[in-house]
Amino acid sequence: MSPAKKPLRRKASDATAWNFKPLAQHELSGFGGMGEGMSIQIAKDGRRILWLAHESAPKNFTAVDVSDPKKPKIVVQTDLPQSYMRSNSLETCGNLMAVAYQCRNVGQQPAGFELFDISVPEKPRSVAFVDRSGPHSRGVHQLWFCDGEYVHMASGAADFQASHPLDDQCYQIFDVKNPSKPAEVGRWWMPGTRVGDAEPPPARHQKPLYDMGFRAHNTNVYPRRPDRCYLGYIDGGMFILDISDKARPKPVCRWDNSPPYHGFTHTILPLFERGLLVVTDESVVDRADDWPKLVWILDARDERNPVPISTCPMPNLNAFRGRGGRFGAHNIHENVPLPTAWQSDEVIIGTFFNGGLRAYDISNPYQPKEVAAFVPPAPPLSPAKSIQLNDVFVDEREIVYTVDRHAGGLYILEMDF
Amino acid sequence: MLQLFPSPDASPFGRRLKHSRGGRIPVTVVTGFLGAGKTTLIKRFLESAEGTGTAVVVNEFGETGIDAALLRECADEIVLLGNGCLCCTVRSDLQIALRKLHYERERGLAPHFQRILIETSGLADPAPILATFATDRALGGEFHLEAVVALVDAVLGPATLERAPEARKQAILADRLVLTKTDLAGEPAVGKLTAQLRALNPRAAIASAVDGALDPQFLLAGGKGARPAFLAAAEHGDGIQSFVLAEDAPVPWPAFEQTMDALVALRGPDLLRVKGLLDVQGCRGPVVVQYVQHLAHPPVELAAWPAGKRQSRLVFITRNLPEPAVTELFRAIRALSAGGGS
Repeated sequence: MSPAKKPLRRKASDATAWNFKPLAQHELSGFGGMGEGMSIQIAKDGRRILWLAHESAPKNFTAVDVSDPKKPKIVVQTDLPQSYMRSNSLETCGNLMAVAYQCRNVGQQPAGFELFDISVPEKPRSVAFVDRSGPHSRGVHQLWFCDGEYVHMASGAADFQASHPLDDQCYQIFDVKNPSKPAEVGRWWMPGTRVGDAEPPPARHQKPLYDMGFRAHNTNVYPRRPDRCYLGYIDGGMFILDISDKARPKPVCRWDNSPPYHGFTHTILPLFERGLLVVTDESVVDRADDWPKLVWILDARDERNPVPISTCPMPNLNAFRGRGGRFGAHNIHENVPLPTAWQSDEVIIGTFFNGGLRAYDISNPYQPKEVAAFVPPAPPLSPAKSIQLNDVFVDEREIVYTVDRHAGGLYILEMDF
Repeated sequence: MLQLFPSPDASPFGRRLKHSRGGRIPVTVVTGFLGAGKTTLIKRFLESAEGTGTAVVVNEFGETGIDAALLRECADEIVLLGNGCLCCTVRSDLQIALRKLHYERERGLAPHFQRILIETSGLADPAPILATFATDRALGGEFHLEAVVALVDAVLGPATLERAPEARKQAILADRLVLTKTDLAGEPAVGKLTAQLRALNPRAAIASAVDGALDPQFLLAGGKGARPAFLAAAEHGDGIQSFVLAEDAPVPWPAFEQTMDALVALRGPDLLRVKGLLDVQGCRGPVVVQYVQHLAHPPVELAAWPAGKRQSRLVFITRNLPEPAVTELFRAIRALSAGGGS
């Protein structure tokens, strides 16, 4: 009764679509290297427009008509004025879009964020540009904008000098109720990271692979708790900030998995009704040399003391690390509080670079269970020689959009679980 | 259910699923009497585009493993369970093999296969295999038995069905039936056999395959062979019968559960298979329930009702347990529940 086996015809890391049904792929006119800004607008004429941020120049943003998810069509694609810029992040709210601009080096311009009137999607019209350049600033890496009133972002500023060059982006809040005249209303940084702070600078993570900076990344704020910012702070771990007084944000708690882990805390997704937080790391080193980068589930019934209770199971390291590029956690669908975004507190969908797109059932948060995976083949001409899925957004129709970081553009899928 | 971290979106039965399989790996059991053409059919399926990503578990008598050797070139992963019959001696081997396949898939030691086909030996009774998926908590959590496909040889089938109770049971319990060797049998014989099978099992879709050529969709989850199995009642011989209970009003779950508990306690061995969709009070979608003898699969709620009427429908395949007895039990317990004010 000995089981007989043959050499494997396929490998574990081969392309797969498991419980996701691919509907379409769009290479975005050859500019398929996409960032981490994805947002859906319903245009006046009823068209469903997906706005996408590019990972790097030359393109700024691309709008795709996804009314028919099987036939995506480019509506507009714009250029950045400088090759050293990147507009990695964007959000839309109604007919207003906010786009983040970051430069390669401090002191370069233009760096900041721009608001666009997108009521005619073919012709985005600039309403305001907010300059965040400075001698110690690269500008804005990420922003959050979903209430039409405030932009929350990770940014440098002309008057912000970090105690370490990698700590240059802090949490900033801009009032955009008058979109043509945005005004800063508050900011917060981790104590010790600014020149002149009374506190000592934080101990750096180990060089060279793990020292990535004590600076802000995702700055999520939800109408359910408008007085809270769920802040990823890269090597500083995560913070919940009390922003009931926006001029003076105050930490409610900090949770940091590193060391012994390797930092780069990226996104904090609160699941309010369940008292849970979903926290992602970002893998930023090729060949997964910063492994493990995970999606963590935290018991946050007492927000002052979040407790990690599980992580989402990852596919096998050895099967994936050699495929090319990065392998590990990054973005998740964030339940953006807009009518065009799917809301779920039972399923987490995330991108894992060459590990593809993965969905987890967290009905039992102590035992997250993978229920779907999508790992497309390496896009032609990708320098990574593998897929590098970078971000994901799910609309209220339960259509899943995910993007490749280098070349593959946009992939549209249906959930089937 | 976990009392901590409740989701307001969750059903009493957990996350609402798009289909009863949810995220689990679909399993198709291919059964059929000796020589019915199971290996040929599976080989053709594996060679088709739809067959990509299939792991195969083969159970055959004898140490030689001929069927496994034939399939080796085209399966993603193949496990041979030799020298025994799945329904009796080799069942733990099946459990071990499936657990190992899952473990290796999760850890990247095996390809990320999308489905499993189990080829049973010709003499296998499918009922214990069905029960295996309900009894083994590890298997039930990771695998979903999608369909039992029974092959019937159009030349020898009629005589086999008359002679061999195993063959009759395979046909009766199948979700889909495939007539093989129809080119050799001639039209009148095929027509007669089809009628014979319809009498045994009016629920199953019937297709024919010559030299293993079958629309691959027929073997797939949700494929063409899938259809709601709520047709007419039938007497199958051997005391086996099938019938459908339908109910328009939403069913209170406690009353249903009590009834099934009572049935299982009293007549478990005679409940060969019970399967259906329930319109449970307080649930948005249909609740899928399934029993094999004394074993209940965990119920799951689907996200939406399939097209058609919102109605509870349960198909029973029983032995020496007629419909009126079951109906009466349901009625009595429901009356008691209502009277008890629950």
